[in-house]
Amino acid sequence: MSADAQTERNRWLLLTPALTILTLAAAGPLLIVVVYSFLTAGDYGGVVWTFSTDAWFSVVAERDFFDETLSFSDAHLAIFWRSVKLSLMTTAVAFLVGFPTAYFIATRPARKRDFWMLLIMIPFWTNLLIRTFAVMEIIRNEGVVNTVLMKLGLIEAPIQMMYTEFAVTLGMFYVFLPLMVLPIYASMERMDFSLVEAAYDLYASRWKVLRRVILPLIKPGAVAGSILVFVPSLGAYVTPRIMGGGKQLMLGNLIELQFGQGRNWPLGAALSITLLAIVMVALIIYVRSSESEGAHHG
Amino acid sequence: MAKPRAFDVRQQTGFTLVALSCFVMLYLPIILLVIYSFNAGTSIAIWEGFSWQWYAAAWENEKVQEATVLSLIIASSASLVATSVAVMAALATTRTGKFRGSGLVFAMINQPLMIPEIVTAVALLLFFAMIKVATGYTGIWYLIIAHSAFCIPFAYMPVRARLQSMDLNLEQAAADLYGRPWQVFRRVTLPQLWPGVLAGAMLSFVISLDDVVITEFVKSAGQDTLPTYMLGQLRRAITPEVNAISTVLLAISVALVVAFYLLSKSKEK
Amino acid sequence: MIEITGLSKTFGAGPSAFTALENINVTIKENEFFTLLGPSGCGKTTLLRSIAGFVNPTSGSLTVNGEDMLSKPPYARPVNTVFQNYALFPHMTVAENIGFGLEMLGRPKSEIKSVVADMLDLVQMAPMADRMTSQISGGQQQRVALARALAPKPKVLLLDEPLSALDFKLRKDMQIELKRLQSETGITFVFVTHDQEEALTMSDRIAVMKSGRILQIGGPKDIYDHPAERFVADFIGDTNFVSANLLSEDNGKAQVRLPSGATVEARSPEGGAHSGAVTIAVRPEHAMLSEPGALIDGRLKNIVYFGTDTHYHVESEGQPTFVIRRQNQPDAVEHHSVGDSVGISFNPGIAQVLRD
Repeated sequence: MSADAQTERNRWLLLTPALTILTLAAAGPLLIVVVYSFLTAGDYGGVVWTFSTDAWFSVVAERDFFDETLSFSDAHLAIFWRSVKLSLMTTAVAFLVGFPTAYFIATRPARKRDFWMLLIMIPFWTNLLIRTFAVMEIIRNEGVVNTVLMKLGLIEAPIQMMYTEFAVTLGMFYVFLPLMVLPIYASMERMDFSLVEAAYDLYASRWKVLRRVILPLIKPGAVAGSILVFVPSLGAYVTPRIMGGGKQLMLGNLIELQFGQGRNWPLGAALSITLLAIVMVALIIYVRSSESEGAHHG
Repeated sequence: MAKPRAFDVRQQTGFTLVALSCFVMLYLPIILLVIYSFNAGTSIAIWEGFSWQWYAAAWENEKVQEATVLSLIIASSASLVATSVAVMAALATTRTGKFRGSGLVFAMINQPLMIPEIVTAVALLLFFAMIKVATGYTGIWYLIIAHSAFCIPFAYMPVRARLQSMDLNLEQAAADLYGRPWQVFRRVTLPQLWPGVLAGAMLSFVISLDDVVITEFVKSAGQDTLPTYMLGQLRRAITPEVNAISTVLLAISVALVVAFYLLSKSKEK
Repeated sequence: MIEITGLSKTFGAGPSAFTALENINVTIKENEFFTLLGPSGCGKTTLLRSIAGFVNPTSGSLTVNGEDMLSKPPYARPVNTVFQNYALFPHMTVAENIGFGLEMLGRPKSEIKSVVADMLDLVQMAPMADRMTSQISGGQQQRVALARALAPKPKVLLLDEPLSALDFKLRKDMQIELKRLQSETGITFVFVTHDQEEALTMSDRIAVMKSGRILQIGGPKDIYDHPAERFVADFIGDTNFVSANLLSEDNGKAQVRLPSGATVEARSPEGGAHSGAVTIAVRPEHAMLSEPGALIDGRLKNIVYFGTDTHYHVESEGQPTFVIRRQNQPDAVEHHSVGDSVGISFNPGIAQVLRD
């Protein structure tokens, strides 16, 4: 019994440093954000320590300047909508490209798969900012695409691609793609190809094999990949800032704007909590689905 | 008559094409970025000959020098701190099954992976602003602590994986052969754990070196790491100098990631 | 000498509690090759790990040469273990592995060197001394694991299914090797296995375990010829079970009446069977095929040829199929054919009355 108590004490002693750092510099400060979202905005940034729910109203509504009536905040709603729309588009494109890629890697000879996966993982572990720069340099007005097209005489003036929703989506697709390939590849690798052979043996066509056998089998990986792409897209800050150039704001940029000089800190805090809540819901859906998937197989 | 081609069950029409274009897409922008860092002209699209001038310009740029030093200090300190505490946490949580509070501990450790970076950045901005006002301290420890926190899960994962794949019997065999707990840890556990510790430290270093969002919010006035410096350059005309800095950062990341990959391969042997 | 008294181990608590060991009482003698035999989950490994110190028993006592073990951590017990997967340290050479225990005990370098050399000779691994453990074969790893556990000269060597990972041929060789090492070193071996043949071949005594309890302890011949319970009879070798009536019991001998009305002498289990309706066990090779009118009559249902011997399956009313095994002779002629009416006979004192 005392041996167990000692094991328990040692465990918490070993955990203390990590938990202290995480509490101080990750989890703990989130509470401050919650508190700030219920304070009154100071006139020149910062907060006044008076309780107020104004910030939360401002997330989706705005008070008319003259008669103080509430109406939906079109600007905020547009940004919410754009965040969700672009994140969904990023996820969809990432799946359309990521699934065939994962399939390709999983069907390589076993010795070579690791090499192909390394090729996927290297960009993922390199600087997100640099990768965004790299895409930007391709589609800028002075970039490679426009220069080549103009040299060829196909266009007279550069096509404006930067600072559009297309640019933001392309950028996010580019930086988050590995997150889609990884889990799909993991479930593909576990897949038993004799099942595919059995399906062909039972007169299925290539398309039917894909739709009726392969896709259902890799569904857990596809769900995981979609969540892994959707969640960081929704909270993206760097990529929309560079590719959208302040014209195509997403939630992350809206939040950042609230913390500049003379801005609304409580609103920024409330928006942060809102973003956190949406992400948590997505993660809970993911955990639930992977648990029921596990129960199904177990 | 043509020989009938063997039916390949693994073949799916068009998949190979998509996959290969995917690899081209992933690497083309990076390769172009690297190539134009050696451009003699100022353009990032028109090739005007080979030159080291942008590397020289970056090398002599005082701002870049300061940012490089700060980046390296923060990345080394954060990876050292994160790896040390992550090894302890991994020893405490692995191979003991569920214990009271284990769910909470795992949630805490992995929390930086789940919560959007911008939210953490805002939280740290508010928290550190309060401390800055209260103490007047505006040094680099804010950045080191913040980086250590989000590096912990990256340091924890390989160490934990290593511990889990480690044969529990080895430590029991050592205890059976009269090894006291500390001797067992030093002679059997730690030598086995090294590749995981090293891998964790390298991942943390890369993650810290690459961070933009949290650094941007936490840094005090006048502090810049390489990524925040480059983000700041966005407002001006982009010259291949940024490409040159990027190329160096890329080279460091790629070298560390490949080393990490080889390390994790070696443990399977 | 290992003395285990009233040893129990329960994992967990409340309704989900699991009793792995229940009131184990056993004395293992000096210089004995003692085997714990049973199916997986019977508690044999838990018992072995309790001796090693990796499992804390819930109650009971455990002494080695009169010294209490339960209060000591594994590193303070004079016992060494050969692990099922060998658990060789992958970052050390063969010689470093073998010397590890002595090093931990703080023995001088010169002594470690000479003991390691002796051990390498003992297991015939001297040429491999400086190899890493990943560079040697499974059988060689097995030898190193043995040498490592023997090097500190423990009072007791614990072996946890050490041969299960080896292929058939190597396993046979190692069985003989282990027996040789045991008699050469004079160390008490406690051997865990689920392989009944292995247990019968190597052991001085066997304890048959099931569901955390020891069912029977005895020498290999004793256990094979006279299993006390149906489980033991069934687990070790093949057995025919015949229901019978106990007529009388005296001094280990019993008279039973078979369903055919014939009576025959059988052996009583230890402590007696007491009740009237009993089951008797007869080994297939102990019974003979004869003409109808024997102890049991029936019809020949099947003849299965096995190379070394032939099995005759006899069906009789109200009884499970009875199997008779007859060793094949090169010039033997098969007199029987499927469908024949036949009889089954066996000598007095062969059948064992089971304690059910």
